[in-house]
Amino acid sequence: MTYALQTLIHERSRYAAGVGAVLFSAVLIALQVGLLLGLFELTSIPVDHSSADLWVGGNHVESVDLGRPIPASYIGRLNKPGVQMPELYYLNFANFTKPSGGYSLCTVVGTGLTADHAGCPDVLTAEHRQLLTESMTVCVDQSDLGKLGLERVGDRGKVNGREVRLVGVVSGIKSLAAPWLLCSQTTARELLVAVNPTYSDHVTYLLARCDDPAHAKGIAKELAAEYPEMSVYTADEFSTKSRMFWLLRTKAGVALGYAALLGLLVGAVITAQTLYAATMASAKEFATLLALGIPRRKIYGLVMTQSFWIGLIGVTLAYPVVHLLGYVAEQAGGRVVIRWEVLLGAAVLTMGTSLLAGLVALRSVKNIEPMSLLR
Amino acid sequence: MPSASSNPSLRSVRLERTFGDGATRRVALSQVTFDLFPGRLALLMGPSGSGKSTLLAILSGLLNPDAGQVLAWEGGGYVDVWGMSQTQREAFRLRQVGFIFQGYNLFPAFTAAQQLEIVLKWGQNASSSDARRRSHAMLEGLGLGGQMNKKPSQLSGGEKQRVAIGRALVKGSKFIFADEPTSALDWENGKLVLELLRREAHEHGATIFVVSHDSRMLPYTDIAYHLEDGHLGELSRSPLADLS
Repeated sequence: MTYALQTLIHERSRYAAGVGAVLFSAVLIALQVGLLLGLFELTSIPVDHSSADLWVGGNHVESVDLGRPIPASYIGRLNKPGVQMPELYYLNFANFTKPSGGYSLCTVVGTGLTADHAGCPDVLTAEHRQLLTESMTVCVDQSDLGKLGLERVGDRGKVNGREVRLVGVVSGIKSLAAPWLLCSQTTARELLVAVNPTYSDHVTYLLARCDDPAHAKGIAKELAAEYPEMSVYTADEFSTKSRMFWLLRTKAGVALGYAALLGLLVGAVITAQTLYAATMASAKEFATLLALGIPRRKIYGLVMTQSFWIGLIGVTLAYPVVHLLGYVAEQAGGRVVIRWEVLLGAAVLTMGTSLLAGLVALRSVKNIEPMSLLR
Repeated sequence: MPSASSNPSLRSVRLERTFGDGATRRVALSQVTFDLFPGRLALLMGPSGSGKSTLLAILSGLLNPDAGQVLAWEGGGYVDVWGMSQTQREAFRLRQVGFIFQGYNLFPAFTAAQQLEIVLKWGQNASSSDARRRSHAMLEGLGLGGQMNKKPSQLSGGEKQRVAIGRALVKGSKFIFADEPTSALDWENGKLVLELLRREAHEHGATIFVVSHDSRMLPYTDIAYHLEDGHLGELSRSPLADLS
């Protein structure tokens, strides 16, 4: 065992504050990022709940909910080796009139309704799909009923002035702002044409599966190069693009950055203070070693090793805490996405901060003079 | 290293040191010239504030004098301790100098053996096994064979000071400086510490310089000096210390 670790264990109550500060920083960063990713996961729900490999939209589509109409005739452009039968996909914002009056924004999502359709949301059961084949019917997420002023199946509201009937309630497609209204392609076209006649022969996206999903990226690249007026993405790319767009557009990333920075700062100050105090508490022992001619850099090394261990212990303890708090948040209805990249990032950042705190604490070693033992 | 009957191992040549300015100016050392010899235990006594610790600090390379020289015998000749660069002086202390202070200054987290091992590993880049072997041998010699794995909180004051002595000696130091090494101990333990220091001088040829208030030490020393108002005088000399 190293001298640094031995000291840490022996004087654990002294170093606990530093370990706690690192733990706090790591948990704060991981959970904040997790919550934010969870929040912005909602923006890519149509992509994440479909089984399409390719998404084709208008030029420069920034996010799945911001697609603009493209001619349905583009469907012929997807006739390429390795690409399966393409399908039409409607997605656009619309005005929802609640049964009791009042308005809400919603997003109409019109897809093919058999299980074979790549665009068909996986949250729909066979029964839902069957019910949605009836014209002007919709399904919505349980959590969005309130936003739309709906209470139960059978309730009616208006979308772009056209009456629709709720035929099913699903879960897992909670919206960020505009509830998703799942419906058939026919219903969607009718609802969207009401305010935008272009939709009579246009769609928002063309979707397709690939014979080998691994080739999707190459095919997307080829199509995009061939038809510059189209955006072509793989499902993964489009999902990430949608999340990143809203993350950056809403400046939520900036808020997150500040909060994380604050967490790191608090962690760094407490860790530095802990190390500084601990080093000063051992100042006489270190001064004796210096008197004996032991190079000062050895003591610097000890303090830096201590800061390393404080960081490592803090980060290790943070791991189960993040999972526990993430679980609690999920139980409370939140969504926390705990990805290994986020955990690794939080670990690297807080370890770095701990080492930085160690560097700051070296000031204490610099001030130790063996002569002080003779006064 | 010169023998006990030949050259001095450490020479203090017209050392001067003052503290403060103007009205607060205080002369700690004035033209202090004397020699220390290998294989001898020298005691420096004097009232509080007489400059004893200042002299110890200058002789050991911790505090620079205003004037004068400290010449140490090393490698067949004298080296000027205060003519060296700071790095050279630290290296000199590492090679030749051991310290024992009034406080034991032991790391609370380390065992008795580790207090010595850290000096060998950090100071001489000794391997773990070599450091352990030498530390154990040193502690055995100091009568601490049964206390190797105990931490300071499990040791008595006398045992702790013996560990501190071991830490000063383990790297093979030829000059041992002790500042009030017995003042925190009862006299029985104090005597034991003095006997150990004497043995180190007489059996291994080390030059031991002890600063203390305690006149009960006199019978255990080879030569004793008195420092007052910056001036050094010889207090006593045992027959053994007759160097002529």
